[in-house]
Amino acid sequence: MTVTDEELVARCIAGDTESFNQLILRWERPIYALAYRQLGREEDARDVVQDAFLRAFRALPGFKGEAKFSSWLYRITLNLCRDVMRRAKRAPFVQAPEGVDVGDLVSTETTAAESIEDVVTRKDLGRHVARAMSRLPEEQRAAILLKEYHGLTFQEIAELQGCPLSTVKTRLYQGLTVLRRELQRNGTSTARSESRTP
Amino acid sequence: MNDSRYCDNPDVLISYLYEDGPGEERLAFEAHLRQCARCAAEVASLRAVREDLAAWAPPETVLDFRIVRDPAPVKSRWGWTSAMPAWAQLAAASLVIGVAAGISGLEVRYGNDGLIVRTGWNQPVATRPADATPVAQAEGADAPWRADLAALQEQLRGEIRQSVPAAGAMPVSMAAAGGGRAMSDAEFLARVKQLVEASEARTEREMALRMAEVVRDMDAQRRADLRRVADGIGVLEGRTGAVTVQQREMMNYLMRVSQK
Ligand SMILES: [Zn+2]
Repeated sequence: MTVTDEELVARCIAGDTESFNQLILRWERPIYALAYRQLGREEDARDVVQDAFLRAFRALPGFKGEAKFSSWLYRITLNLCRDVMRRAKRAPFVQAPEGVDVGDLVSTETTAAESIEDVVTRKDLGRHVARAMSRLPEEQRAAILLKEYHGLTFQEIAELQGCPLSTVKTRLYQGLTVLRRELQRNGTSTARSESRTP
Repeated sequence: MNDSRYCDNPDVLISYLYEDGPGEERLAFEAHLRQCARCAAEVASLRAVREDLAAWAPPETVLDFRIVRDPAPVKSRWGWTSAMPAWAQLAAASLVIGVAAGISGLEVRYGNDGLIVRTGWNQPVATRPADATPVAQAEGADAPWRADLAALQEQLRGEIRQSVPAAGAMPVSMAAAGGGRAMSDAEFLARVKQLVEASEARTEREMALRMAEVVRDMDAQRRADLRRVADGIGVLEGRTGAVTVQQREMMNYLMRVSQK
């Protein structure tokens, strides 16, 4: 039976540092993905991953388990992303330059069923999604990332963002609406149903 | 059909889109979608956006960051103490705390039976108040308490040297006291008491000196261990200034927990 995050947290507080490394192994990919999608830069995202786990490790004795460990970690990560954006005093999202190798932006992994054409199309779309995401305000983007890529519940996002449930849904709705507009303008999106639906 | 409960209602729309909320609400909204082209189109297009989002994956990257509170340094730091009797280990541990906390005099206690090892000197080695040397300062390579420790060792050596003649004369005096009947019982007891006290004072000083040396060695070992750990992290992740600061913070944390 798999040990839960909370059990690993308890062991770590009791002095077993290796338990925390298990938590790192378990969560470093999602945390990196969140940071990358929020910041748009691999190096920044990696720094944030390290910093997030260091902070979590130090703050662990004060972690009372009122939220899930992962939600707590996501919050730390998003706060650090905000710091990075402020420190850099730059646009909150580094946009992909034109003509960039799509391989730099999207994963090279392919599924067995995909043809080369499919892969190229998917990578191309991924690049457009990244650019569209960069248009979103930070909070809207974070809400969408947490919902779409990390499967948090509305309630978890509300607690994490410190806002009412209705605000989370509004952020998602407004964010998706902007993404739809950006992707449609770009022409790559499959989101063109407004014109095809009766 | 325009139903104000559903049309232009992000709350209902988003809940439906993400399959959240009670089943009867979803069924009711589905019934509305069959009659409201605008809401149906909205749902369909936002669904399509969600599908597009799946195409965005972060680039592959190497993540090999780990927390290294390596148990090995702890073992190497304390490994030699396993050869010491339990009370001495305890005394050494107390001494570490005492010195690290900047306490200038030494009073090493062990066990619950109240046996205490005192240095017995009167002048404090350090003139600084104890609270001016928090534990955290012990982290620096040039922490002030290290100078205190060196001064303490010097003082102890001096005191031991001074006590050597008395201690050396002891067997002779004892023989004299035991051999000659001129001495009264009271005198004899007083003399023995005096000699025992001198002997104890010397032993105490020697023990304190050994303890101080032990602390010094342990500290050197500890710093070497932590430097090794720091170098290890540096190889793994040391890149940006921000990262270096984080590592320093981490080192400070490790040193604090290692002192507990
Ligand atoms: Zn409607």
